[in-house]
Amino acid sequence: MQVEREIVVPESPDEVWEALTEPERLEEWFATEAELDARPGGEGVFRWGNGEERRAVVREAEEPERLVLDWDDGGETAIELAETDGGTRIHVVESSPEFATALGLRALACTAAAA
Amino acid sequence: MHGGGGVDRVFAALGDAGRRSLVEAVAERGSATATELAAELPVTRQAVAKQLGALADAGLLHATRAGRETRYEVTPEPLEGAVAWMVSVGAAWDERLASLRRSLAAGRRQA
Repeated sequence: MQVEREIVVPESPDEVWEALTEPERLEEWFATEAELDARPGGEGVFRWGNGEERRAVVREAEEPERLVLDWDDGGETAIELAETDGGTRIHVVESSPEFATALGLRALACTAAAA
Repeated sequence: MHGGGGVDRVFAALGDAGRRSLVEAVAERGSATATELAAELPVTRQAVAKQLGALADAGLLHATRAGRETRYEVTPEPLEGAVAWMVSVGAAWDERLASLRRSLAAGRRQA
């Protein structure tokens, strides 16, 4: 089971990559406090105003195309950037490996969510 | 909302096609015992009973003793928890990506 989102922005992949990987930029959109070493094996710690804290390890970092974080709760976030005409397509997939065996249920879950 | 661990268990339990068809078979009947299901499926009663037990452990089926048999019913809440996970994670990303778009636009204005 996974959640996918995609948006297109007018900025270049390099500009988007900075916003995805520099802690002070991550604090503008992802978390209240962010620490991230955006290299494979690097660690990330993110905190939110409600006291929530999530920790991650960078599994893949291919500047400026692909960033994959493994969360300590077993989840995964993969963000891919693709250059488009005058901008960047940002594709996000958040999933949990335990759900991978039940991919057949995705359609069911999507149907139920839409209902 | 159910915790992530519960959702994991639900999807692990439903990751097996045989167990999924058992949940469907129980849902169709409203309730069923291993003996009733084994009579209609190409598997032994023992195998059905084991799978029903696993599904009950995952919270997908509710078990009640009926004489010498255990009777199972479908409990919808765990699947609702899984759907709730998708909806809340999706909503979180909608908000984050809207903030990212604003952050990028602000960065461009400063440049």
